[in-house]
Amino acid sequence: MNRREILRRTAAAGLLATPAAGLLAGCATSGGDDDKGDSGAYKGTKSEQNPLGVKEDAPLEVVIFNGGFGEQYAKAHEAMYKEKYPKAEIKHSATQEINKTLQPRFVDGTPPDVVNNSGAGQIDFNGLVSQNAIADLGDLLAAPSLDIPGKSVKDTLLPGAVEVGSYDGKFLVLNYTYTAYGIWYSTKTFTERNWQYAKTWDEHIALCKQIKAAGVAPWTYAGKHPRYMSWPLIATAIKFGGPSVAVAIDNLEPNAWKSDAMKAAADAWYQIVKDKYILDGSPGLDHIQSQTAWCQGKAAFISCGSWLESEQAKVTPAGFNMAIAPTPSLGSGDKLPFEAIRGTAGEPFMVPAKAKNVAGGLEYFRTMLSKKGAQDFTKKVSSLTVVAGATDGIELPFGLTTVVKALEASGSNGFNWVYNNYYRKLERELVDAACGEFFSGRSTPAEFLDQCQKGADTIAQDSSIKKYKRAA
Amino acid sequence: MTTLDRHTTAEAEKSGAARGQDRRLRRELGVANLFSHGFLLLWAALTALPLLWMFLSSFKSDGEILSDPWGLPGALRFENWSRAWTEAHIGRYFLNSGIVVAGSLTLTMLLGATAAYVFARYEFRGRQVAYYLFVGGMMFPVFLALVPLFFVVRNAGLFGTWTGLILVYAAYSLPFTVFFLTAFFRTLPTSIAEAALIDGCGHFGLFFRVMLPMARPGLISVAIFNFLSHWNQFILPQVLMQGDDSKWVLAQGLTALAVSQGYQGDFSGLFAGLTIATLPVLAVYVAFQRQIQTGLTAGQLK
Amino acid sequence: MRHGKYPLIIVFLVPPLLLYGVFVLSPYLQAFQISTTNWLGYSAHADSVGMANFRTLLHDGQVWNAIKNNAIMLAVVPVLTIVLGLFFATMLNMGGRKGRAGVTGVRGTSVYRMVYFFPQVLSVVIIALLWKEVYHPNNGLLNGALRALGLPAPTWLGDPRTAFWCVLAVMVWSNVGFYVVLFGAAMSAVPRDIYEAVMLDGASRWTTLRRITVPLLWDTVQVAWIYLAIAALDGFILVQQMTNGGPNFSSDVIGLRMYETAFGSESKFGYASAIGVVMLFLTLSVAVLALRTARRDRIEYS
Repeated sequence: MNRREILRRTAAAGLLATPAAGLLAGCATSGGDDDKGDSGAYKGTKSEQNPLGVKEDAPLEVVIFNGGFGEQYAKAHEAMYKEKYPKAEIKHSATQEINKTLQPRFVDGTPPDVVNNSGAGQIDFNGLVSQNAIADLGDLLAAPSLDIPGKSVKDTLLPGAVEVGSYDGKFLVLNYTYTAYGIWYSTKTFTERNWQYAKTWDEHIALCKQIKAAGVAPWTYAGKHPRYMSWPLIATAIKFGGPSVAVAIDNLEPNAWKSDAMKAAADAWYQIVKDKYILDGSPGLDHIQSQTAWCQGKAAFISCGSWLESEQAKVTPAGFNMAIAPTPSLGSGDKLPFEAIRGTAGEPFMVPAKAKNVAGGLEYFRTMLSKKGAQDFTKKVSSLTVVAGATDGIELPFGLTTVVKALEASGSNGFNWVYNNYYRKLERELVDAACGEFFSGRSTPAEFLDQCQKGADTIAQDSSIKKYKRAA
Repeated sequence: MTTLDRHTTAEAEKSGAARGQDRRLRRELGVANLFSHGFLLLWAALTALPLLWMFLSSFKSDGEILSDPWGLPGALRFENWSRAWTEAHIGRYFLNSGIVVAGSLTLTMLLGATAAYVFARYEFRGRQVAYYLFVGGMMFPVFLALVPLFFVVRNAGLFGTWTGLILVYAAYSLPFTVFFLTAFFRTLPTSIAEAALIDGCGHFGLFFRVMLPMARPGLISVAIFNFLSHWNQFILPQVLMQGDDSKWVLAQGLTALAVSQGYQGDFSGLFAGLTIATLPVLAVYVAFQRQIQTGLTAGQLK
Repeated sequence: MRHGKYPLIIVFLVPPLLLYGVFVLSPYLQAFQISTTNWLGYSAHADSVGMANFRTLLHDGQVWNAIKNNAIMLAVVPVLTIVLGLFFATMLNMGGRKGRAGVTGVRGTSVYRMVYFFPQVLSVVIIALLWKEVYHPNNGLLNGALRALGLPAPTWLGDPRTAFWCVLAVMVWSNVGFYVVLFGAAMSAVPRDIYEAVMLDGASRWTTLRRITVPLLWDTVQVAWIYLAIAALDGFILVQQMTNGGPNFSSDVIGLRMYETAFGSESKFGYASAIGVVMLFLTLSVAVLALRTARRDRIEYS
């Protein structure tokens, strides 16, 4: 089919195979031959009751990323699966190092059936997708929901959930949680000091001035992971120029980073750098250190996703009442209203293409996406899922209620970008470095955008990285 | 702090040099002593600090650790220790590590000593090549060999076994051990060996009855360095001892703690775990300090 | 002495060679093989691309930036560590007050020697955690001290001008203890009367160190240099934990580049292996160079 395939076939038939593929195939990568195909896969008969064709006694192996959410929620999902398929034996394991743990098994062709590919040791999705290592989840979307009558799984998902996990139009990755990205502040401090969260950029700057005069630093950020600050900056640009700004960036279009909207946003944000509205020393802090400084009231604002509340639970003073808010609008010319916020599905799950029990993996996802499964998750780990309305009737912590409200207010104006999923290196290394220079005052807005653009260009020119396009 | 340090060193050396020709030795020593003594103390403080910090932090609450990293614990929270010991299963991993390290250390020393002895004492064709092959192993990054290694170990039927870990630890320790011990055996006097041979002692007898006892100090010091590295080994067990976490070794348990600390903020548990893991290593060092000293010294004696 | 040596050579050398060949050499050779492919690490398939990875590497600015940083470490870390190690060892072995009467160490030598070794037993994770707090721009010990003295407080790890040097300082800090012990051991093997005679002649301590100690310890210093050079070409875990190469790649090292390429932000195992192969040859040539010089010296000596 594609060029790679043809090259490989030629190589296998021809001379190339002897010296090159010899050692690799002979020792390191034996046993993982594609051609074996589905020989050992478990398949059941599809029926109305069993739309995915699960073999009821087929074992299911689940590997969970043991991070902020722990592993208990997964054990609950596994129990629900087992309830439906009592004959299935479930093997559960949890690890922090997904890539090192599972790499040999992928090569070997014996990966587990469900992988929660998350955390710092996440396997790069670009690599997985380009190697066809992930099973298509299309059948899952079409299947009826387990406990929401009359709806397919797809109908039960929040907008954007499918798009984020899609590569070249194929839905490959189930992002289970729903995360909002915005600017956080303490409602307690703001009430006490009589500060008002500003809706426009000019007001925001005025507020920063007021905050600074009160002896508090307006902003802090994780100087060791400065990409956290790229989020509000890009959000500002998207609200100013519309969602096409993000599409251009995601599609690696030439000079996407230097669009007028990005320029306007970078110029605006430069103000907080120029006027020294950032807590001294922030460039030397990591995310925990900066968030802790913020919780201690040393700074008023911080940029983060909706996991902030649980991440900081142990050091947040009682009654701090953190709240999320959208980025301020640049002005009346903005294409999106102030309420628009970045909401996106996160916490990726996948079924490896060579898993023995692909149908079981999909069915496991269907269990996770049932109302019961989703509610249990939200109760256990205080996070939202991509299942619409699954929080109904559940008591949420303060910060998370503000997240729910912000997402509701944002509604169909919500936006997102996915270049960080497509090209991990671009956000984690290249844009990250550019943000570090920009927010510490070492580069100007023009230089900042230039550095981001150069990063994007190196990715675009690297023929060994598979490219993806998304439609508006 | 480092610039400060360097400054002081330079100062101390300069003061020594400037007075080089000065015959008033006593005064010179007095002045230099002031500088160097201060510096000795400073460095001692610098090195003792982390251990103390780790120890104190293991009694703190997470809030205390994050908001006041340098403060004293408000109370002696032994529950951090018990949490690390029971919930994080540090106790069990401790035992597992003990078993694995005992095996791997024995094997490393046996194979390392015999190979080094041959390299040091016998001439044969290909000696140089074999020697450099071993020593070159010190310089390759392990994680690039992980995937091939995984398959080698699995095909040998040793995946997820302590035997596998023991063999692999030993194999990866050989370069350093052989390098160190070859140099050591070379320094041992040849006259004794020749006398023993003339007395009718065979080549094997010579090694076990004469050379090995003579090399004891060197063996002990290299054994201690291997112990430190095996005890702290992380990447190898991570890949070769997957799944069944009842067989995990200590470093894996600690990493699990360290990583979950990044997500769940259990800093106090991490420090308690690290303290528990560090104590035996420290004990080994303190107990064998003398042997390490003589071991390193003996190599220089001629 | 000749007869019967081959049984011993075979019995002594074959098992270690076998173990080493199976678990170390064969995976490494496969890594070489992988470096000539475009393998992406998560399927069994890889196409041979010949030397393409190495050609890309020639023009990869990030890799060169990392190599540059390693080169600086290679030039600075061993020198600094050895100088500090020699200085402390001298102090501990003959810094005593007695002047003319004899040469002894300072008071508390054994305590110092033990404390100095502490960083060696600590895991790198804890060292990095600790120093991150020391360098904390607002709550850190370092800036606390500077502010108390009325000096400006830099952001250390957050500033591209200082971040690299901060990590380098920690590297030196964590290594010095081992070399104090090593040099100390070597020094105590030097007959005391040599020093006493020289001191009586009125030589300053600096002269003694330069003219007597260093030449006598030259072998040990060279071994130290090899170890340290290998350590300086690595530095991966420390950098990853403390700065992750930042800000703006100012503290990047080749090991981190390799890790990021394979496991971090990309999964280009073929390319990462190519970087590893280059790194291996760099380290190997440094080590062989040092070993060669060492051997020549020894021959001249005897």
